[in-house]
Amino acid sequence: MSELIAQEALPGLVAKWLAQGKRVAGPSVVKPGYCLYVELKSSAQLALEGFIRPRNSIKEFVFPHHEAICRYHFSGHTVETEDCDPPQVDQVIVGARPCDAAALPILDHLFTWDYEDKFYTERRKATTVVTLACQAHDDACFCTSLDLGPAAEQGSDVLLLAVPGGYEVRCLTDKGRALFAGETRTVEQTAVVPPGPPVMVAPGTIMAFLQARYDDPMWADLALRCLGCGACAYTCPTCHCFDIVDEGTAAGGCRVKNWDCCQFAMFTQHASGHNPRSGQSQRQRQRIQHKFRIYPEKFGVMLCTGCGNCARNCPVGLGVLSTLKETAGSAPVEVGV
Amino acid sequence: MSEDFEPKIVAFVCNWCTYLAADLAGTNRLEYPPNVRILRLPCTGRVDFNLIIKALEMGADAVVVSGCHPGDCHYTAGNYHARRRWILFRELLETMGIETNRIFFSWISAAESKKWQHMITEITDQIREMGPYTAYHEISEATA
Amino acid sequence: MTGQLRERCRRLLQDGAVQVVIGYGVSTSDGMPHPIFVRRPDDVDKLIWNEQCMANLTTYLTRDAVKALGKPAIVVKGCDARALVVLEQECQIDRSAMHVIGMACAGVGSPRAPKCASCDVHVPAAADEVIGEAPAQTGPADPPYAELEEFLQKSPAERFAYWREEAARCIRCYACREVCPTCYCPRCIVDKNRPACLDTSATVKANFAWHVTRAFHQAGRCTGCGECTRVCPVGINMRLLNQSLARAADEHFGYRAGTNRETPPIIGAYGLEDKESFIR
Repeated sequence: MSELIAQEALPGLVAKWLAQGKRVAGPSVVKPGYCLYVELKSSAQLALEGFIRPRNSIKEFVFPHHEAICRYHFSGHTVETEDCDPPQVDQVIVGARPCDAAALPILDHLFTWDYEDKFYTERRKATTVVTLACQAHDDACFCTSLDLGPAAEQGSDVLLLAVPGGYEVRCLTDKGRALFAGETRTVEQTAVVPPGPPVMVAPGTIMAFLQARYDDPMWADLALRCLGCGACAYTCPTCHCFDIVDEGTAAGGCRVKNWDCCQFAMFTQHASGHNPRSGQSQRQRQRIQHKFRIYPEKFGVMLCTGCGNCARNCPVGLGVLSTLKETAGSAPVEVGV
Repeated sequence: MSEDFEPKIVAFVCNWCTYLAADLAGTNRLEYPPNVRILRLPCTGRVDFNLIIKALEMGADAVVVSGCHPGDCHYTAGNYHARRRWILFRELLETMGIETNRIFFSWISAAESKKWQHMITEITDQIREMGPYTAYHEISEATA
Repeated sequence: MTGQLRERCRRLLQDGAVQVVIGYGVSTSDGMPHPIFVRRPDDVDKLIWNEQCMANLTTYLTRDAVKALGKPAIVVKGCDARALVVLEQECQIDRSAMHVIGMACAGVGSPRAPKCASCDVHVPAAADEVIGEAPAQTGPADPPYAELEEFLQKSPAERFAYWREEAARCIRCYACREVCPTCYCPRCIVDKNRPACLDTSATVKANFAWHVTRAFHQAGRCTGCGECTRVCPVGINMRLLNQSLARAADEHFGYRAGTNRETPPIIGAYGLEDKESFIR
């Protein structure tokens, strides 16, 4: 026994949410070969098939790449400031991948542990995540290595599973139930969850490796081809670093919170000119250490969902997975490969 | 176009010629529209293309860049460098669909106060006719 | 060609003629060829050459960590080799302190990269040696700026709307900048913050300014390798902007970046006779 929504009914439901004034986001093919999560203007934009996963992640709907947090203006010798409020818009993310949804509970730790970042938490509260289980995976996928899978439920309010003619609807939270109440019918069939990618690395061994080999020369070799862009971090569902900048004129301006990336040389550059992570090898090491040792030591969860976006978007094919494979068995590290 | 639209025109001018022409226009009591905001720079060679973009971002409806006639540069060749840069830059703006008929370039010497007066009058009329540069102002306000 | 390349590199490393080969090797993540750095003769079998060798490896020549490895041999396609000329003109590399292995190339990518349709450098110029033969029948090359000219058929308002959409997607990861061989500034103008020239926010306004800046800083310098557009995670077609400046340089000054190291770069030089019709 399961709840079912017909294939053709889903766009109608999306249109209904839009008509209710909700902000709806989901995968959309913005140009051939480029499927991205975008804010949907109409249900016709929604794409649920024909791609492994969007090239970006859903984090930008709870942690946008640019957010105004305070406005200021100078008057004489004083500065007047005015706090910006977190937005109060109900939003639905539909067609999220399980590896995207699973990132949200991971991010919750960071944005609430010592200071509650209202911009994040308010958005998160107002967000309902409708996840679509994966039917296929590619070489970059490794969710199963992180105890997730094609139908993982972490972070989702509703899990949809493709069945002939529609989607099985599994409501996991009250928010999810509210969204689909009265929209489904009960049927006999239940969905078959397709197999995920094979387990390729064991996070436990990686953590031990990272603890033991912080200064290993392998980091320098691994990082040689890294160009130092932010494509990996900016498309990662779990990367969350940001920078606070004042932008404006002599009259006043806005204090904004923008994404930042540990692979940029500027990320750790001090005002004095000293840079504690002066080389790309140190920056690459930081990225891996943070995801698989520092974050789990602090919060008990890996900062990765195995979505593989880092590898897919890397200009030079350098992903977290390839690095983990290098480190996994403490195998001798090959020069520069 | 609304009747009370007053164009905002930003002029980046060379310290050694056009700025003096504008000064002379004042001394000579030559009248021209007050819509132009003059920014003095040492040379047209100093006019970074980002200044033009910045002016549009900050709400300009038109931008003027003006300096010494070829051969008259105080620094020998600043205006030649600038000329070459603008030749290329205009093509980029065309491709991006930025309205190049709102971006003006001129050579105005320190003696040509009348040319300054006529040019600013003409540009102001023209932009008043065209209306505000809404398309660019819209992107400047969009937050995402 | 892969066999020839490996043998050549083995000898270069064995003889000590070079200390490192910057070439392509198969990545463990996606099975595609990606940049590798081979330093031991025993490792040359990791080198490969095939139609998927997309990256322009010359971008590594200006990087400190790579320079520290010693004298390099570098594998280039014809289009990549043009960047060497620009880097040499701009005093960023010492051409005599490297060994350039040119690969004859009939085109890369599946589907073919857009740049390949108008390729006229199937055999790299200015390489120290070339491996492979010029492709026999490649057919006539498309006119160099065909894609741009088609785009310019749109009205200015349509073009602006197009770029507004493109700019709205930009996430400012700067992959376009980092992958570019001629974007080698130790500190990019967008990273300058005392005072800040460009906003770092990924707003449409700031993204517009960024893309104008990125493109124009490449004016007369971009060699059209197309890496910026290939690596963009959100598919921004920067190639059009680069083409518009390349075409302008070609039409106004008869200049094509990276084709002749003796010609002075157009930006940084000037001509008393430069023609235009828009200055009052």
